[in-house]
Amino acid sequence: MNLPSRLLQLLMVVLMVGGASYLMMQSLPGDAAWRIAAGRYGYDALDAAAAASVRAELGLEAQGGLHFLYWLGDILRLELGTSLISGESVWVEIRHQLGNSLSLAGAALGISLLIGPPLGLLAGLRAGGWLDRSLLAVCSLLRATPQFLLALVLILLISVEMGLLPAAGHGEPQHFILPAMTLALGLAAVSARLARDAMAAVTQTAFHDFARWKGLSNAQTFWRHGLRHVALPLVTYLGLQFVTLVEGVVVIESIFGWPGIGHALVHAIFSRDVPMVQGTALVLGVGFVLINLLVDLLGRQLDPRGVK
Amino acid sequence: MNVATMTTPASHTRPGATADDVVLSAEDVSVRVRGAQTMLLEPVSLALKAGEPLVVIGETGSGKSLLAQALLGTLPSELVASGSLWLDGEQYPLHTPENRRPLWGRRLAVLPQEPWLALDPLMKVIRQVGEAYRLVAGRSAQASHAAARSDLEQLGVAAASEQLPGKLSGGMAQRVAFAAARAGGAPLLIADEPTKGLDAARVSEIGELLLKSLAETPRAGLMVITHDMALAHQIGGRLMVVRRGQVIEQGATRDVLAAPTHAYTRRLVNAAPQAWPEAAFKPAADSASGDGKAAGETIIRAENLTIARGDTTLLRDVELSVKSGEIIGVQGASGCGKSSLGDALLGLLPPHSGRVVQHAERLEYQKLYQDPVATFPPRRTLGRLLKDLSARHRLDDSQLPQLMEQLSLAPELLSRLPGQVSGGELQRFALLRLMLIKPRFVFADEPTSRLDPLVQQEVIACMVKMVREQGTALVLVSHDAALLRKVADRVLVVEEGRLKACQEI
Amino acid sequence: MNQVVEGLAPQRVEAVRRPRLDWPLRRVIGAAMVASLVLLALLGNLVIPGDPLEQHLYRALQGADAVGVSDAGEVITSAPLGYDHLGRSLYHRLVAALGLSLSIAAGAVILAAFSGISLGLLAAGRGGWAERLLSLVADSLLALPGLLLVLMVSVILPSTPLALWLGLSLVLWVEFFRLARATGRSVLASPGVEASRLLGFGAWYRFRHHLWPEMAPVMMTAMAFGMANALMAIAALGFVHVGIPEPTPELGTMMVELLPYWREAPFALLTPVLVTFLLLLGLLLMSGSKARTSTAADTLEGARP
Repeated sequence: MNLPSRLLQLLMVVLMVGGASYLMMQSLPGDAAWRIAAGRYGYDALDAAAAASVRAELGLEAQGGLHFLYWLGDILRLELGTSLISGESVWVEIRHQLGNSLSLAGAALGISLLIGPPLGLLAGLRAGGWLDRSLLAVCSLLRATPQFLLALVLILLISVEMGLLPAAGHGEPQHFILPAMTLALGLAAVSARLARDAMAAVTQTAFHDFARWKGLSNAQTFWRHGLRHVALPLVTYLGLQFVTLVEGVVVIESIFGWPGIGHALVHAIFSRDVPMVQGTALVLGVGFVLINLLVDLLGRQLDPRGVK
Repeated sequence: MNVATMTTPASHTRPGATADDVVLSAEDVSVRVRGAQTMLLEPVSLALKAGEPLVVIGETGSGKSLLAQALLGTLPSELVASGSLWLDGEQYPLHTPENRRPLWGRRLAVLPQEPWLALDPLMKVIRQVGEAYRLVAGRSAQASHAAARSDLEQLGVAAASEQLPGKLSGGMAQRVAFAAARAGGAPLLIADEPTKGLDAARVSEIGELLLKSLAETPRAGLMVITHDMALAHQIGGRLMVVRRGQVIEQGATRDVLAAPTHAYTRRLVNAAPQAWPEAAFKPAADSASGDGKAAGETIIRAENLTIARGDTTLLRDVELSVKSGEIIGVQGASGCGKSSLGDALLGLLPPHSGRVVQHAERLEYQKLYQDPVATFPPRRTLGRLLKDLSARHRLDDSQLPQLMEQLSLAPELLSRLPGQVSGGELQRFALLRLMLIKPRFVFADEPTSRLDPLVQQEVIACMVKMVREQGTALVLVSHDAALLRKVADRVLVVEEGRLKACQEI
Repeated sequence: MNQVVEGLAPQRVEAVRRPRLDWPLRRVIGAAMVASLVLLALLGNLVIPGDPLEQHLYRALQGADAVGVSDAGEVITSAPLGYDHLGRSLYHRLVAALGLSLSIAAGAVILAAFSGISLGLLAAGRGGWAERLLSLVADSLLALPGLLLVLMVSVILPSTPLALWLGLSLVLWVEFFRLARATGRSVLASPGVEASRLLGFGAWYRFRHHLWPEMAPVMMTAMAFGMANALMAIAALGFVHVGIPEPTPELGTMMVELLPYWREAPFALLTPVLVTFLLLLGLLLMSGSKARTSTAADTLEGARP
């Protein structure tokens, strides 16, 4: 995609998240005030008075027709409001959590790139060989395992039974290993398959054959006429994979108690903290568009033929 | 090319062998499916002499390409070759393809089919030539670049050196591929259908190129595999004719083509449009059909027509009128707007300006396509498709058996899917489909350019028969001037965005 | 041997390579796995009747008991797979959970496929503004994580199953849309469609005989894959406590509930885990090995004009 259509996409994402958040706000049932009060004061201290004070303070009942436009205006001015639960500015909360999530996601992405594409390339160079077939089997099994299930298995085996690593927590390097591995295995399975298919497709092309006929060795052919063609779909796909990574982060953080953006999102949904949900969704959506903008630029470097 | 000045590290020619002049020989080359006994190519021996080209001709599927692949070691893995190849006094058994790998680029050069697919679309042209000099011939980076540049200059494609292959025309791509294939210094060149998909004018250019490099390189050998009689004629040297996996005739190219002894070779030679009999396709002057559709009735007329796609104007000021029973040939290089002319005449593309007047029903304006496989629904048998058509228009299909016989289509083909019959058969089915609805006007867009010469001759004959018998008006588009001259009543040429009358018919 | 040589003619080879709905062993196994689990969901409660919510606290985390018939001739409510931590029959909870997940996922896939294919063909056929607008919406939805969308819808709508159905459809239609638009664009521009139009065949004929044969295998794969994704999402949401609320049985919720007791009753935890895994594996096997490379194939295509 080119720059203008990415900008349009960005605008549309903001519009969608804003609209959905507005609808969420509108649809908060009466007991939202109770929930919020419970989140703040704990269920023991919960009573009608506390709920009423929350309702009044947050203006949960005052909604008008023009309200939506104001709502969008706030977003465009980057006014994301304050969390209904902590009373903290949404920006502050997100900035804090985003760092945690990015380090986890980065670690996972790094591990998956070390495992997936190299294996996929090797399998694709000899499509139909033993490596190809066993990789297919492993990838199929991994893909049939939802990430939360993989997390469950890893926790039970590695931390509970063997006691090697902590099951939950944050701060120490060893806390990284389990959640990052869980995320990375799923990503690696997909990128391995993709690299394999792309590599196998490239080895079938006439230009790959011709390079060898010219007298180039297998290694020379791979570096000069193979890798770039495989990198192209891989990079594009990794851009799209960002969403999968984020989805994984939401689940994995909740399971491993990782204080990141996904964990916060689940909590915000649970307690109907609409400003937090909106802020998180915006950051994720905008992040996706920006990352894919980078991918577009990188793709143009790899393939100077121009985009259709 | 400066191949002559190069030293090839792998060359260890025997000093006394020059008198003999055989640069490559092969014994009992045969190909079969792995694990099966049936031979796809029966044993054949050949010798390639320095400076004397060898041409192998045959139809698609005859096994002529298998011969080249067996020699090079590029057969698909499910096929296996036997026999042996002799090169510089060394024997290479053909059943192990790996032993020829070190020869590629150094002793044996391969000119690919469809070169625009054989060049890496992401690498600049000059680097694709230069890398062979650098990595195969072992020159320094600067020397490689300079050598590549001078090659491209000599071939007349220097302007394209910094471009990606996607910007090249077919002829340019073939010249670049030629430079890249030769850069490693291999004196022996094997070209498998080097002119496939090229316009006629480009074919003779490639022929000249091959002959020139053969003459300029010492101890060079050339083997060309083709189904193009014109190219075979141009290359000369020795000729082998392959049919159904067997070499049925061989000898000096000029002798064989001038006086073929085998009946099949004779048919093959006569199938080239140049060799078609002059009068075969022209209407006999007195037998102009006497029924209502008599010749002379104008079926379609284009007035001051300008055709554009998007912002590009393809053709301007087209004046054309076609009468029933008339064949008009349209000739032009690929991409000149011939197909868009058809779309405009058939009402598929609104004219940019001017107008098209059709004098009959909408359904009576039809088209014949280049690739028949793409024009039939893929998963419905041919019989069902014909039934669909007659049901849709309440046609009388009682004459179907008779029409099929006329087109020499066997009735059992009706139960096959479109992908399960040959290209020639399917193109005749496309004709049959048209003959059922008796169109008044047919636009035939390169209807035989993907067919072998023999099949092309059959399909053209059927088409002309339809025109003469049903009084159809036909616009026949082709890049083959010889074909049009034999078939059409008038030939028009697309030049510089205009449709002009061709002087000589 | 002559036949063999003729058989190598390019048209024949092409005919063999054409994509068609053949079913290799892998797909048959996958379909059998899915079919048996669907049967379990449909008939499980008829074969051994029981209530997934009924508690027998004194039997908590106990193993299976025998199916028996009381003196009065009534079938005793029984639990062939044992009891969970609250003494509820695991078998009946599993059957109910499977039924719920499968119907939400199937409903979402059907709605998504129907709307995605129709909008995709509309975009391919009309082009212009309709295509640009629809593609913009689809691309923008692609920017948001699916789980996030489902979660947002679940806040807006009062009923969780309804929210899951609509939310998942909202996520899934994009893939069908993109596939239908890509196939539609190439097929509608093909000489075959043009020829049929010139021969006077209507839109329905062209859809039925040109478009659908090209689209069907891709769409079947996408449907199996979408189904797996939907099931995964439902279970994942249950697992992190934002899915279908208690006490309705759901696979993800069951797992997380039984997790603390896995030392005492490993089998109780293993049951929902295995069922989920087998269901997803079956669907993936059914969808074919090319699953999820569809988007990749798009990008590959885009990279190679």
